[in-house]
Amino acid sequence: MRIKLEQRHASSLLWQGMSYGLAILAGFAATAVLLKLSSADVSTAFAALLRGAFGSQRAVLRTLVDATPLILTGLAALVVFRARIWSIGQEGQVYAGAMGAYWVASSLPDAPLFVVGPLAMAGAILGGATMSGIAAVLRNRYEVNEIFSTVMLNYIVVYLLSWLLSGGPWTEAGTTVAYHQTPLLAQSAWLPQLSGPLHAGLLIAIAAAISVHLLLERTSAGYDMRALGANQTALRFMGMDVPRIVLVTMLLSGALAGLAGGVELLGVQHRLKADYLFGLGYGGIIVAMVGGLRPAGTVAVAILFGGLSSGAVDMRIQSGVPDSLIQAMQGTILLFVLCGTALARYRLTWSSAK
Amino acid sequence: MTVALQASGLSKRYGDVVALDDVSLEIHAGEIHCLFGENGAGKSTLSGCLYGYVQPDSGELAIDVKPVKLRSPAEALRFGIGMIHQHFKLVGRLSVIENVLVGAGGRGLFLDTKTARRRLAELCSDYGVELSPDAIVEELPVGLQQWVEIIKVLFLGVRILILDEPTAVLTPQESDRLMAALERMRDAGMAIVLISHKLREVMRSDRVTVLRAGKLVASLRTAETSPEELSVLMVGRKVSPSYDHNREAPGEIVLDLNDVYVNGERGHRVLDGLSIQVRSHEIVGLAGVAGNGQRELFETIMRVRPLEAGRISIDGKDVTASSTRDVIDLGVGHIPDDRYLQGLIGSFTIADNIVLGRHHDCAFRKGPFLDRKAISSFATDRMSEYRVAARDSAARVDRLSGGNAQKVILARELQRSTSLLLANQPTRGLDVGVIDYVYRQLLAKKSEGFGILLASEELDDLMTLCDRIAVIHRGKIVGVVEPAATTPQHLGLMMAGQAIPGGDARAH
Amino acid sequence: MSGLFQEAIFVSLLAATIRIATPLLLSAMGELVTQRAGIWNVGVEGTMLTGAFMAYIAYAVTGDHLTAFALAVLAAMVLGAITAFLSVTLRVDHFITGLGINLLASGLTLFWFRSFVKGKAQPTFDSIGTVPVPYLSDIPVVGPVLFDQRLLTYAAFALVPVVWAFLYRTRTGLELRALGENPAALDTMGLNVAIRQYAATIFGSAMTGLGGAFLMLGFSDRFVPELSAGRGWLVVVALIAGNWHPLRVTFAVLAFSFLESLATHSQAIGAAVPYQLLLALPYVISIAIIVMAKGKSRQPAALGESYARS
Repeated sequence: MRIKLEQRHASSLLWQGMSYGLAILAGFAATAVLLKLSSADVSTAFAALLRGAFGSQRAVLRTLVDATPLILTGLAALVVFRARIWSIGQEGQVYAGAMGAYWVASSLPDAPLFVVGPLAMAGAILGGATMSGIAAVLRNRYEVNEIFSTVMLNYIVVYLLSWLLSGGPWTEAGTTVAYHQTPLLAQSAWLPQLSGPLHAGLLIAIAAAISVHLLLERTSAGYDMRALGANQTALRFMGMDVPRIVLVTMLLSGALAGLAGGVELLGVQHRLKADYLFGLGYGGIIVAMVGGLRPAGTVAVAILFGGLSSGAVDMRIQSGVPDSLIQAMQGTILLFVLCGTALARYRLTWSSAK
Repeated sequence: MTVALQASGLSKRYGDVVALDDVSLEIHAGEIHCLFGENGAGKSTLSGCLYGYVQPDSGELAIDVKPVKLRSPAEALRFGIGMIHQHFKLVGRLSVIENVLVGAGGRGLFLDTKTARRRLAELCSDYGVELSPDAIVEELPVGLQQWVEIIKVLFLGVRILILDEPTAVLTPQESDRLMAALERMRDAGMAIVLISHKLREVMRSDRVTVLRAGKLVASLRTAETSPEELSVLMVGRKVSPSYDHNREAPGEIVLDLNDVYVNGERGHRVLDGLSIQVRSHEIVGLAGVAGNGQRELFETIMRVRPLEAGRISIDGKDVTASSTRDVIDLGVGHIPDDRYLQGLIGSFTIADNIVLGRHHDCAFRKGPFLDRKAISSFATDRMSEYRVAARDSAARVDRLSGGNAQKVILARELQRSTSLLLANQPTRGLDVGVIDYVYRQLLAKKSEGFGILLASEELDDLMTLCDRIAVIHRGKIVGVVEPAATTPQHLGLMMAGQAIPGGDARAH
Repeated sequence: MSGLFQEAIFVSLLAATIRIATPLLLSAMGELVTQRAGIWNVGVEGTMLTGAFMAYIAYAVTGDHLTAFALAVLAAMVLGAITAFLSVTLRVDHFITGLGINLLASGLTLFWFRSFVKGKAQPTFDSIGTVPVPYLSDIPVVGPVLFDQRLLTYAAFALVPVVWAFLYRTRTGLELRALGENPAALDTMGLNVAIRQYAATIFGSAMTGLGGAFLMLGFSDRFVPELSAGRGWLVVVALIAGNWHPLRVTFAVLAFSFLESLATHSQAIGAAVPYQLLLALPYVISIAIIVMAKGKSRQPAALGESYARS
């Protein structure tokens, strides 16, 4: 008997939709195995995880707080991936965005929120877009593959921030250097709370998701980005300015990721510390991929993953499972999604060899 | 005469398309057996089945009267069946000897280059080919690359050799040499299966099998048939393309390339001091063996490729330093040879493809938003004008047949261009009806006053359509002739690089 | 500063360069074979991290170096097999595949590490010792730099000519090189493309896992999350900078290693630049290298393209 993969002549939409759902389920199943392996009680852990994520109003609010930066980094990844620009610089752009926002907010300690808020967000956008802009110029001018430039920039930004926070100008004075953090920002720079821990950043993220959807599907600029992803050569032969489209797409992506850093800084942490921002960029990549590179899917998956990360705290307290389970789970889900969507393009055929 | 290879009842479907329908044939040792038919008649599928590269849905194969099943090319090779593919399967960056050694088998961990070099030298002298074993394959002329392919297979000691359109990239003279070599192999007792759609080669075979739409139409001794009979069998009806040909006096110069030098990706010259002119009311044909700079020429005119030196003007305007956008805005239409790579966005709809490049125009936009209604009504009009057969303008382009996809390109390019048309292999892979349609569209544009540059591998088509034919060889125009004053043989000599005294690319 | 002290620093700087180069070189030689076969594995970072982590766990549990190395290689080979399944069989974009592997490895190692050390003190251990080559290690400067290293370091450098001979002198090597340029050339000759690409990918990952294990056991006294810290990416860049040739890739690896060694020795040398900025230097340089390598590339023509018979 031989098992063969055959390309489907028309990819089945039902299969594709189902493959995402199945992949997420498989991710949960694999996580259960992980828990079993680390000799935790699976049902207790999952119950705590679920309760912590969506079990109460407060849990839902916390989930949304955790989902907010993921929505933005997810959109950042979505925009470039739709254009088949393989930028994975979201991680560094989040840091740069937070740095930009912190720089603006800390230079205006006495200004009221309506002044410092927008300016700090502009600083965040500028920070993120600068990072992605460098990668875009390196690609357009010097043909540097954006995968490498963005990865390298990620590491460079991490070291830069590390210096700024320990030994550099932003180091919190009076404490030991070991904290690796800045002092708290003045309260006037904090984003307004909507309800409990939920801050106005969520509104920014939702607005961004709607804008990205409209941009991609309805505008001529979005047509350019999708066309770039579908067939760059044809675009060039039609006289479109491909480097410009690359630059615009990457600036937009960097701005969104930078915004995630700014929102997290002014909405939740109120001080700059590398640990707080770690993984938001890479998480966004997973969110965008699992969300099928669509804004609505990205928002939904970001909320799911936000729930996982806020539920993970409860899980750790109640069953002692480390909250880093969530990262493992996200990685597993991503791999299953890759398999699932690829398999949806094929048909399995069994044939008996004669 | 002994039957070397026998196929009976081979059938193969791809989705809804029947590529091969109950085909049976016998290949004899000591014979050149020609598979003859149009593009898409099933020749390549049939040869793929004979080589184990394509698995038939049903049917049997027998080698030396023993039934066999060929599950892979490896098994075919073990039975002594070798194949030369239409597109070379060589590794360009490796040397000749390395290419020969890939898959040559042998024992031991390390490469035995010494023995291989000796055998290579023997084979080369047998067939009178001059091949240096250390030459890098991609630096060889195409004709020699073809020989690397052949020697690679002969190296394995095959008894049955299948060649899929081996002369597509050769000049008529190189083709003659190849045919002579094949005749020598036949005389040595090999069975040769030659796939071709060129009558000249078919007539040199011993036996010919005609395929049409996946079916075997006839299997005849070549000596007992005629080119006329074969062409009728091939298309099923007698067609001789005849087009209304008002050869008017050409007008103003619309395209003028002067001493243009262009380098390729790896820094080598691809256009080497090329000059050509096209006037309005004129179709200039571009004849040449594939890979002599045709594609680069079109890309250079479209300003997709940078120029090292020289000057290009369109409608009297210097566009040497212009962008692709500027060239398009001057009213130039471009029909590329690779339509899914350069001309269409496969995953987009017909409507989006028809406005591709113009989607920022005010007519298709409301503020930053695309005006979907305007786009789809515009596209629907173009679809009926250019007879694109599809459900509606929201159908995806990559689901269309080759002919309909080409019509989408025509709809876009003919509609927006005003003075100059660049058509590179506009009929490649299309069936007779669409070919006829494409040519009539070009002629209509010519009588509207367009200048047209038309490259084609079909010399006969160029002879009937063009007012002048320019021959390109190694990035240079080696001569310009009028169809009435030349023959395919003469063009062939020029395509092989023999400059004709007095040949000049300028308009007279 | 006394001349003796300066010489000691100089020797230490160079010896550290060779030591730091070891995991990079092991991985680079493996990935060179993978990439020459046309598989663009960008999951090197995650594979190296997995190797380092498995070595850590295995050593912490068994206390046996050999077991630790073996398990690290095995785990990396599993990742290599997953990579090959995705990019060869399912024909997922190679970049996406590698990204998935990196994120998976980063998540899994972090979780397992946290579960492992939960509540316990982090076990620390001595790194494996050096094996001085008799007589040669007594040569001044050269001796301590080149001939007082760990066994695997000697092996890594010995691997360079081995990989060269494999690629350019053996039948399989020729087939792999042809595969990276034009897989159809093999397929039409009846040679199985997938099996060779699987083998090349799994071999590359095994070597990367070995490099990761050395990173852990060769010069770290404990595991930290993201221990590989971008070294896997530097390997990928070294292949570009070295134009996919064993010897030139080795030079690129040595250059990166020297920079890192310089950063760790910056205080001893008395450099006024903050060490974080020096640590960022290899990444800055690598971008510069790719900029300069433009146009001279001998990148395998079919690198990163999944083969499908047409």
